[in-house]
Amino acid sequence: MLKKEQNDFLCQTDPGTPMGDMFRCYWMPALLSEELPEPDCPPVRVKLLGERLLAFRDSEGKLGLIDEFCAHRGVSLWFARNEDCGLRCPYHGWKFDVTGQCVDVPSEPKESGYAQKVKLKSYPLIEKGGVLWTYMGPPERQPPEPMFEFCTVPLNQTFSSKRIQECNWLQAMEGGIDSSHVSWLHRGDLANDPLFKGAAGNRYNLGDMSPVFEIVENDGGLLIGARRNAEDDQYYWRITPWVMPCYTGVPPRGDHPIHGHFWVPIDDHSCWAWSYDYHPTRPLTDSEVQAMKDGKGIHVRYVPGTYRPLANKDNDYLMDRAAQKAGRTFSGIEGIGMQDASLQESMGPICDRTKENLVGTDNGIIMARHRLMRAAKALREKGVIPPGVDPAHHQVRQAALLLPRDVHYKEGAKEALVAKKGVRQASV
Amino acid sequence: MQSESARVTTAREAGYRIQYPNSKTRSVKVIALDPASAKLVDEISQEPWNGARFFTALSFSADGEPGATGAGLQAWLQDIAGRTMSLVEEIASSDFVVVVTSAGEDARAVSVIADACALHHKSLVALVAPGEGASDADVSASMAHLRPFARMLVIAHAPDYISAMLTALRA
Repeated sequence: MLKKEQNDFLCQTDPGTPMGDMFRCYWMPALLSEELPEPDCPPVRVKLLGERLLAFRDSEGKLGLIDEFCAHRGVSLWFARNEDCGLRCPYHGWKFDVTGQCVDVPSEPKESGYAQKVKLKSYPLIEKGGVLWTYMGPPERQPPEPMFEFCTVPLNQTFSSKRIQECNWLQAMEGGIDSSHVSWLHRGDLANDPLFKGAAGNRYNLGDMSPVFEIVENDGGLLIGARRNAEDDQYYWRITPWVMPCYTGVPPRGDHPIHGHFWVPIDDHSCWAWSYDYHPTRPLTDSEVQAMKDGKGIHVRYVPGTYRPLANKDNDYLMDRAAQKAGRTFSGIEGIGMQDASLQESMGPICDRTKENLVGTDNGIIMARHRLMRAAKALREKGVIPPGVDPAHHQVRQAALLLPRDVHYKEGAKEALVAKKGVRQASV
Repeated sequence: MQSESARVTTAREAGYRIQYPNSKTRSVKVIALDPASAKLVDEISQEPWNGARFFTALSFSADGEPGATGAGLQAWLQDIAGRTMSLVEEIASSDFVVVVTSAGEDARAVSVIADACALHHKSLVALVAPGEGASDADVSASMAHLRPFARMLVIAHAPDYISAMLTALRA
């Protein structure tokens, strides 16, 4: 349960809000590389943290993320021509480069220097791991580039997708650290999904519906360990890392690729759910990549030409009551990603947490909220850079492993929880 | 035609949620396992709570040694006013139980509380407060004591986390 003012504090990320300021300390996924595939390709509208922006790749391949609207008469530059190292507004021909600098105002003499006095707000946009990342905070506080393992392995070992989720970022992110829902909502998929099935660890999940949890803070966020009984005086541990503010990892299964999410606010009523899959030591197979493109695992199928899920609120998520009744899916919704999204969107655009009734096993969620509030206040009141900004905090890896019952997972899984180049994930 | 899911998930529709309480007051019992955490629990108890009760000491008879259950469980709690209460009766009347220990302190008494919780089918949440100067080994030792008994085990580094958690649980 949160008070309304606490809920507002955590959910609002527009410019000038405490959480908005905190989000603006981090590099965040903004677009897939495929959205700006080549120089002078069409620009793409982007909305992040309540700001309307436009992304483009200029004639030299340089990336830009600028205010969407022309400084002259407020026209959307989505209509602009991407030509000769800049976006030229089709209305009166004003032209802007990737830094937002106006480089041409045709109605004014070049020698007047008028264009130099006009500049749109812009943010850096970098390409890493098939993802275009932006940093929307003060330039003097720009951190080093992100070092999450999924974006540092070779491109043939990683696959990312994104889908729009029509609810506030926090209720989406909280699903990523709520390990106890997996055995319920996703139970059908453990046995059937090509990116999940066949792992020896699945039987522990399905055999024990009441895991026991241990929550440990680390430098960048939290480690949420869920344990289930296993044979030979061992526990089966699934350890979920959360890196502040919105990165979550899903513990692996067998030799399947590792996956997880970023939950990036678009505005207070919608967010981008980013889904990544990668393998630390081998290329993804053709069948794995095809399964991801087909919406298996944590990915989804799209409405053609968009990043909106094919199953969405406009078609009641393609609810299949017969499949629900027969037990093929637990909720009647197909696919892990949409099983989560459908329920999280059903909470409404912003979940009313004044009415919730949490239990002890929700401590991961409680502690994540507490850390977010604490960090946002420390940033606002004392200028303290929040956890998760330092790239060293990105070097965490999810793990699934068997440990003797008397071993604390933070010790027993110490090596497994660190991303190491060329070292396979710890997985059962 | 607009789907039902699209129609009911707007901000406007959120305004029509029923404004009645959806749960009753919980009975949460918060128990300190050692003198250091007793001080912490005593401080937390001074905040306004929704019926939570706080206990700063636990004692038990020889018959109530860890492992004893049922009628053999003879143990008492001391509340913040210094009154002595039956552990079993307090657990029986609770909805869930929170135990707090300081890293490095002897937390083995948790087994007595866990026995009472098992007897009455109550959930046990355990918090380790590392405190200043606590080593990783201290924390690990405390967690090892608590692990077999708690459904949720948390290391609470932030001094205000225990209060935040109890508030979140409507304690």
